[in-house]
Amino acid sequence: MKPVDKKEESSYQRVVLKNASPYHYLKVHLVLENETTRLSAVELKQFIITGLKNLHGEVGAALNFDVLKYDDDTLTALLRVYSKGLVKLWSSLTLLGSYQNQACAFRVLQVSPFLLALSGNSRELQLD
Amino acid sequence: MSAELDRTPRNLLLCEQSSLLDEKNRLSAQVQQLHFSYKVSVLLPECSSAPSHLDSLLSSFSSFYLIRNLPIYELLDKDFLQKAVYPGGVYGLSYRTRIDEDNCVALMPNGHLCLSLDKDSFELLGFEGKPCRFNHRSRSRFVVSIDLTDSSMAPGGRGYLRLLAGLRSRLHLHTDFLLSHHPGGRACLQPLLLRYDWSEHTPEVSRCHLTNLSCPVLQSCDPHSLLEWLGTVDADVSRENSSSSFLSSLVCPDPNTTLSSALRVSVCGLLLPPDIHRLIQELRHYLERPLLGSWVSLTVHGFVDSPVSWGDSEHGVLRGGENFYTLLMFHDHSYQLHLATGAHDTCPP
Repeated sequence: MKPVDKKEESSYQRVVLKNASPYHYLKVHLVLENETTRLSAVELKQFIITGLKNLHGEVGAALNFDVLKYDDDTLTALLRVYSKGLVKLWSSLTLLGSYQNQACAFRVLQVSPFLLALSGNSRELQLD
Repeated sequence: MSAELDRTPRNLLLCEQSSLLDEKNRLSAQVQQLHFSYKVSVLLPECSSAPSHLDSLLSSFSSFYLIRNLPIYELLDKDFLQKAVYPGGVYGLSYRTRIDEDNCVALMPNGHLCLSLDKDSFELLGFEGKPCRFNHRSRSRFVVSIDLTDSSMAPGGRGYLRLLAGLRSRLHLHTDFLLSHHPGGRACLQPLLLRYDWSEHTPEVSRCHLTNLSCPVLQSCDPHSLLEWLGTVDADVSRENSSSSFLSSLVCPDPNTTLSSALRVSVCGLLLPPDIHRLIQELRHYLERPLLGSWVSLTVHGFVDSPVSWGDSEHGVLRGGENFYTLLMFHDHSYQLHLATGAHDTCPP
């Protein structure tokens, strides 16, 4: 193995970033009255945009967010939104109450400033 | 009003860069201090199957026990204290209790017992504690931290009897409890296992082989983009988007390269720091071998509902309760460590 440069060896850096996360990530589950109804990812995103528009108007509808992953069997999605838009997105998800004339609700399962945290949630540990 | 809407609760990301050859590096101390880990996930680039010794190490993580409906006063049992608590190395955590609504209990390897209680339970217990630092104004949650190895807590002592009476006759705190011991294993936990319904569990290992993985240049990538990229790999999120896609504009940070293959291995359960420490040593040896990838990453997630995160520092959930670290190790023995916490946590060590 190559000997390591002494200068490199002693380099030490420590940085604390406070509230620097540009995005927040949400894991959400859509509960529909009629459990057989299925949505595509595009329909889901359009539905959320409608909710944003209803609550926050045209400016709200222009809020950028991403559907990172969507499972149409379980109606569970991972969303990414700029940290500044989190409260707007979350509030409009909460107030979305009907999809095509049937009652519905978004369950926000997990919210985190780190996407990694969404794949390591200890509340999902099943030992039975 | 709009300014209020833009605000989000605090989050911290601590980034450290150093070298494993540096004698003052604090890596092992930082690893040892996260007592309750739930998941470890390792990413090995340019690797289609893990070398046998690494594979066997991943499958040999210490097993842990789930004791059903354990009365918490049993943790003060004289036999148990002598066999498991005084020698050190016992890890215990209440299972399926949520720290934002239930009473949670943690037993740490240094012999400290930590109870996170709601106001009513705290008052029933009648033992010295302090308001939880994250909602000290409302005083709705209290933390009782007890050093069981202290002389005042010796069986028969005043403090011991008071706590025992509080837990046994007044509070009646019962919970499912995860328990493990390193290096003693089952023999040390026998005093409790003999009397209660329990099951043994080995941490679950899962492997996933990835191909054509776009990967940023890790040394120069900013920490948040790096963690996001690792998050997309862990959660199987597609990075093949363009900035104009309707669904998602997430792309791999620039500049990037493509890895022809990679292996992602994860282990889930109650994982002990000594096992994680062994894994890090093994990964270090893995990197020393020629022709393999030039880096590896390891992410360790702490339990969301643990009353403590790093060391004895208090932990809460608020919204996510995340407490995890990501370690990136390179060929030249340098490493990057990213420690992340959410709003109800102190700064990691």
